[in-house]
Amino acid sequence: MTRTDQPAATGADRERKRGGAGMAAGPKPGRAALGWLASNEAGLLMITLLFVLLFSQLTAGFTSLFNLYALTRVLAIDAVIGFSMMVVLVTGGLNLAAGAIGVCGAMAAGWFMQALGLPVWLALPLALCVGALLGALNGALTVWMDVHSFVVTLATMSIFFGTMILLTEARAFSDLPPGYVALAKTRYGFWSGLLVVTAIVGVLLWLLFHRTTLGRQILIAGANPRAAAMSGVPAGLTVIVCHALSGGLAALAGLMLTSRNGAALPSMAGQLGMDWLLPAFLAPILGGTLLTGGTVSVAGTFLGAALVTVLTNGLLQLQVGEFWIQAFLGAILLIAVALDRLRAVWIERRRVR
Amino acid sequence: MSDQGVTMPRAVLSGLRRHEWLGLAAVLVLGIVAMAATQPAFLSTYNIYIMLTAFSLSVLIALSQMVILAIGQLNLSVGGLGGLAAVIFAGAMDVLGLPVPLAILAGLAVGLLGGLINGIVTWRTGLNAFIVTLATLSIFKGVNIGLTEAQPFYGIAEPVKWFGNARLGALPALLLVSGPVVILTGVILARTMFGRHLLAVGGNQQAAALSGVGVGRIIVLAHVASGGLAAMAGMLAVARLQLGQPTIGDDWLIVSFAAPVIGGAVLAGGHVSVIGTCLGVAIITLINNALVLLRVDPFAVQLLLGFLILFAVGLGRVRSGR
Amino acid sequence: MTEQSSGREPVLAIDGATKRFPGVLALDHAGIDLHPGSIHALLGENGAGKSTLIKIITGVHGADEGEMRLDGAPAAFQNPRDSIHAGIAAVHQERNLVPRLSVAENILLERMHTRFGLIDYAALNREAARIMATLGLDIDPRRPVRDLSVAQMQLVEIAKGLSVDARVLLLDEPTASITPHETGTLFRLLRDLRDEGVAIMFVSHKLEEVLDLCDTVTVLRDGQNACRSEPMQGLGRAELVQYMIGRKETFVTGRQRKPQGAPLLELNDVSTDLGHHGISFDLRPGETVGLYGLVGAGRTELAHAIVGAARITGGSLRIDGEEERPRDIGHTLRQHRIGYVSEDRKGEGLVLMHSIRTNIAVTIWQRIAGRLGWLTPATEKRAVLPFVEKLEIRAPSVDQPVGLLSGGNQQKVSVAKWLAAEARLLIIDEPTVGVDIQTKAYLHELIHDLVEQGTAVLLISSDMPEMLALADRIVVMHEFTVTGEVPNDGSSGEVSGAIMRCIHAEGEEVA
Repeated sequence: MTRTDQPAATGADRERKRGGAGMAAGPKPGRAALGWLASNEAGLLMITLLFVLLFSQLTAGFTSLFNLYALTRVLAIDAVIGFSMMVVLVTGGLNLAAGAIGVCGAMAAGWFMQALGLPVWLALPLALCVGALLGALNGALTVWMDVHSFVVTLATMSIFFGTMILLTEARAFSDLPPGYVALAKTRYGFWSGLLVVTAIVGVLLWLLFHRTTLGRQILIAGANPRAAAMSGVPAGLTVIVCHALSGGLAALAGLMLTSRNGAALPSMAGQLGMDWLLPAFLAPILGGTLLTGGTVSVAGTFLGAALVTVLTNGLLQLQVGEFWIQAFLGAILLIAVALDRLRAVWIERRRVR
Repeated sequence: MSDQGVTMPRAVLSGLRRHEWLGLAAVLVLGIVAMAATQPAFLSTYNIYIMLTAFSLSVLIALSQMVILAIGQLNLSVGGLGGLAAVIFAGAMDVLGLPVPLAILAGLAVGLLGGLINGIVTWRTGLNAFIVTLATLSIFKGVNIGLTEAQPFYGIAEPVKWFGNARLGALPALLLVSGPVVILTGVILARTMFGRHLLAVGGNQQAAALSGVGVGRIIVLAHVASGGLAAMAGMLAVARLQLGQPTIGDDWLIVSFAAPVIGGAVLAGGHVSVIGTCLGVAIITLINNALVLLRVDPFAVQLLLGFLILFAVGLGRVRSGR
Repeated sequence: MTEQSSGREPVLAIDGATKRFPGVLALDHAGIDLHPGSIHALLGENGAGKSTLIKIITGVHGADEGEMRLDGAPAAFQNPRDSIHAGIAAVHQERNLVPRLSVAENILLERMHTRFGLIDYAALNREAARIMATLGLDIDPRRPVRDLSVAQMQLVEIAKGLSVDARVLLLDEPTASITPHETGTLFRLLRDLRDEGVAIMFVSHKLEEVLDLCDTVTVLRDGQNACRSEPMQGLGRAELVQYMIGRKETFVTGRQRKPQGAPLLELNDVSTDLGHHGISFDLRPGETVGLYGLVGAGRTELAHAIVGAARITGGSLRIDGEEERPRDIGHTLRQHRIGYVSEDRKGEGLVLMHSIRTNIAVTIWQRIAGRLGWLTPATEKRAVLPFVEKLEIRAPSVDQPVGLLSGGNQQKVSVAKWLAAEARLLIIDEPTVGVDIQTKAYLHELIHDLVEQGTAVLLISSDMPEMLALADRIVVMHEFTVTGEVPNDGSSGEVSGAIMRCIHAEGEEVA
């Protein structure tokens, strides 16, 4: 959100009335930089760096090349999971089925490659299409039944996952083409090659939301669907597009995870794919994407995922006990949303003064 | 639109209202008749006992979600809270060696406290209950796993084990808990100020506030009630399983939503039905049982539940005249 | 009556009440004194701060500054509960009922009769029926509120306000959607209550009602007192209007434009799935047709049907002589260039969290975007700036979120987006609700200019002077149908009389 200190002064008003020149100028560059420093993204970046510093001092293992490589590899995947949730949060909805779709996409890819013997370059796009199709179904049901996507994706989570288990008989595809499995092992220094995929996805998403009509329509319909519809925006269509996009991104995350695991496992996202829910929500919400829709921060979501990955990794290195990690992440989510709320209230008060 | 309501005789109107769950009852009877006709094992005393046991447990889970749906919110942490209460209850007997009544109090206290946290955080911050309960779900589940290190507690007191298995013919002893709870919930919702205010807050929060209803108190109490119900379900599950499994509650989410929604709960709040929810639980129990008897893959249950939710929500849209 | 009331101490007095909302100073050191046994009119234009003042008294909002005294002792309410317990009852402007609960439960929500902790529905329904009987209201107390008509709901809300044995009764536009007959019953009751010593505050737009009913008057203008607790005696319509708008009411002589050319929009016996029936009128380029009616008469809903947000089920709707069945709003807006300025700015007119730039450009994105929908902020800014300047929208930058603007500037933005879209037919729904006086005058001038340039305007307004100032003809609606059409010859008395007869005739028939 843009934060502005005070409404226009009366003198400036009169000037604008005559010339209207002040209007086009926009904020000065110096203030823009200051504004960025005060932004959520900058805050996240600093907190993340702080923890990196802290963990590198506390444990020797944290900064080892292998650990950093493992960390960035997890980050690459978790960020895509976060993007997958982010694009539906923009509509004011959510996608509980993200994990289930991710697994479905991965299993579909496994089936294409292992059972049908399709080449990798064909199997992967097809698997992404499966994910996008399942997502589009979520979107279409949400629009058609005119209910919150919560209940629709709760139901389809069950349906997608159940169908997948029935079709695959809960068996894994472990005989995957070596070229595909090697993808996740690419490595530049301590950077995982998977980060390239994540970066490309991130840039494309940024361009979509900030530089295209479709993206802008998604944002405005997410902020206020009725007002958008009354201005001629096809609000329903934007919901379907977002859910399809979410499904495609979930499938992409599933494919990245499959490449890392070397096998497509039905259990890779837990019961009904619900193990993905926490990372999926943590990243965008820490990154400043509102649950109420209409806002998006691609960089924030990436940084949110980074913070979560660093914390998880560091705590494991500290031998905190992996059993407690989940409770810890839950507490972080709670604190993050509560702090964000406090900040909103504070800004509101300051604005009124 | 309103003209119809004016001229339509009251009898027809109230008949239609009752129809809301008459349809469900018809579906249930039809299912029972079909199963009885095709599966001889279905009507055996033991099978009925099995179904009633499952019903006793599920109905508490469903009510736990229902009271939150009544205020127009949702609670993802039902399973997390029930699971935590279950292991605290079991751990109190196994590790601490507390007598059964104290262990029950401990389990119940965990549920009420967890609900209190959910309620206070949602009310105080004004945050979406979804995100709050997603966070507390992780916390409750994490504490559960942290305490148990994913290992069950085996040292369950004998009276609890006995209670979990006791039955009179086809009637499980567990019904002694869930039966009164269901009736009490129904009476509270239909006949007490608290119940009506609960529905008023769900139906139009601003109107309730302007009428002088203490909205915050109602929201917090609803979450406390939800936590208490989840804890009871968790403890019954311990009695039933004869051990304190850390995984108790993991698979409650879908059922907890499916039953009230099938029973006609309006997701926007303000309208829930105890009878409808019970029938929803009964139908789900019947489907589960039928699939077991027909030796269908248990995952098909998940599939069916998903379709049932979609169907019920779609039906609700049609009924509300859209 | 006035001498008698001014002699006593006020039961409730407010001094220097100030309330700021983001971008708006809603109340600026306003004050009022309510005396027992007196009916006090609170007047002011839309957005003058009347509702805010009521919400401060009832504890919905806390005042930023100022003092409230109850029986001479300082009081401040944290929430509506406190104010109800202090004996203050209110009938709010917003819908204040729980749709699925029964009429009786709604009326007595906080005071239900219980026996052994259980609600005694027999006693509850009896009590509710008794309260409604005082209003001459015969509704089954067991009926769910959502089955009632808008007028019945308003009457139930009034009953709810009366059910509290209040010392102070606040009524915010209680007559907006009820018929003159029902209003008469209400007024008799209010006079009885006054004679029993209740302090009553009455808000209404209908000055005739106010002059007829009230003993004292407070007028707010831009959040400040234009007058405070003056006796009504000796005041007439002209003086009240002067207090409200700060100058004399200028009577516009009827324009009676005689537009040439074929009708742009023709409705013939149209019915909709929202319940409209028998809707017929037409609209030509270069003329303004007003839609007048009570709140809940179905005017906004008709506008929705015309742009395609509701379904037309019968009759014929023609645009440029071609039969149309508007189904898709986007299509209607782009194909026929019909724009709709919504009355509900926050709900469907504007996207408050987004910038001025986005809110204006949304209607023209498709036109200004490049290949593959490529759209940069600079392109948008170029397209939007002329309209920001033309309408004199005041903000530090076009990137300012609309939510931070004043009501008047927000309304300018919601008009600007349709000017940008070059609308040929503009449906304007309550254009001056919640805007300041200068903006109101500006918008009236703007509408006038647009019509002179050939735009067709369908004006929905509950503000009679506004209607008289802008419309060439006035179509009167009541209960989702057209009950008459009155040419605007500029004589305020005759036109409003004719309009009232249209509504009243229908109202009597129904009652």
